[in-house]
Amino acid sequence: MAFFEARNIHKRFGSSVVLEKIDLDFEQGQISGIMGPNGAGKTTCFNVLTGRYAPNRGTMTFEGRDITGLSPQRIARMGISRSFQIMNLFDDSAVIENIMIALPEFRDMRSNMIRPVFRDKMLEAEAMEILSQVGLQDVAWEPSKSLSYGQRRALEIGVALAAKPRIVFLDEPTQGLGAEATRQLSTLIKQLRERYTIVLIEHDMRFLFELADKISVIHWGQVIAEGTPSELQSNSWVQRSALGEIA
Amino acid sequence: MMLEVKNLEKTYTKGALSRTPTFSLSADFKIEGPGIVGMMGPNGSGKTTLFELITGSNNPTSGRVLVQGKDIHKVRTDQRDRLAIHYHQSYQVRHFRSLKPNVMLDDAGSDYPMVHLFDEPQFNTQDGYIGFMLDFFRKLRAEGRLVFLCVHPNEQFHLEILKEICERFIFVQTGTVTTHDSYDGLIQKEEVRTYLGKLLLEEETV
Repeated sequence: MAFFEARNIHKRFGSSVVLEKIDLDFEQGQISGIMGPNGAGKTTCFNVLTGRYAPNRGTMTFEGRDITGLSPQRIARMGISRSFQIMNLFDDSAVIENIMIALPEFRDMRSNMIRPVFRDKMLEAEAMEILSQVGLQDVAWEPSKSLSYGQRRALEIGVALAAKPRIVFLDEPTQGLGAEATRQLSTLIKQLRERYTIVLIEHDMRFLFELADKISVIHWGQVIAEGTPSELQSNSWVQRSALGEIA
Repeated sequence: MMLEVKNLEKTYTKGALSRTPTFSLSADFKIEGPGIVGMMGPNGSGKTTLFELITGSNNPTSGRVLVQGKDIHKVRTDQRDRLAIHYHQSYQVRHFRSLKPNVMLDDAGSDYPMVHLFDEPQFNTQDGYIGFMLDFFRKLRAEGRLVFLCVHPNEQFHLEILKEICERFIFVQTGTVTTHDSYDGLIQKEEVRTYLGKLLLEEETV
């Protein structure tokens, strides 16, 4: 059994089928990719996998436990973390504060109003460790709004990591990034691979082919192809395309 | 029998009183088992109307469509896509209307579509998706489904796709539907040669 498994997922909105008979396996310690054209159902798939929408049919298991239909909060507490396509950051707060707020210990301390949490040295050290994982330790005390777009994306990943996840789902992390920022993000995700199991939902095929151990291609709400990048690249039509040239 | 299109007629008319026919489509063919069927024809020839009639999102003037022996127009509207499903480019299309309420209609008896109709998928030789799409059509066929692939060829590789993957063909022109058992048979027809024009000449010189 895979670390995270989805079986026969079916999702309808009204009279439209958005996901049909989706099977996905994500292995521990790997980077799994989901790619597909616009409107293929990637984001709905992401929202079902992370518990925002319950599927109409099908099951999902994480480390052998059935998580189908659990609330997003319960799913998050089990160690499944996600990013958002639209960045959710507190712009006026310092970079490190965005991480501190997302730490599970912060949630536990919040009820204790007497303690000024932002001066808590343990929380600070922990947040700093996460910032160093995403390469933002030097700007820890800058206001978030001063970050570049690429740094904001790194911070957003840091926020997802603050929950101490066992598996992290990243929704189109390259969206809006230029070539240089995409390259830096790729380096960052390669480093995170040592510590986390990662699922990347991506539109940028080149980015995904360079990073992922396994890729599932979604179109028409279904998995139309899957395999390692080299397996997918062996297809003669793929060889003829721009994807065939990626080493 | 996978699909039977029996004496199917669809006539669009204008004018509430005089009812002058503006367009009329007729089709009569059957497909016994799983397969991949290529469909082509000029814009406005009735290809999409034929797909809508097969999926039951459009009602015929006369005739019937049987999918796996079930009359699609007598199946509950919320289950018709469990028999035949229409994908327009990247989106699934469904606008079902029936005068009878669903409780008076039949169950589809299937939880995954038997017939998949792909209406002009966006093929682009640069992104590699063609290869994944063609593999998906093959997988559906291997699982016992019937696949229709509608293409309006305007580039050489569109013909390559049809030739590579389709076992039989349907040509639609001004509401007339003809079936052909092979690509070579298809491109011998005068009307098909006229329709494809210079794409065929290019192919023959390659």
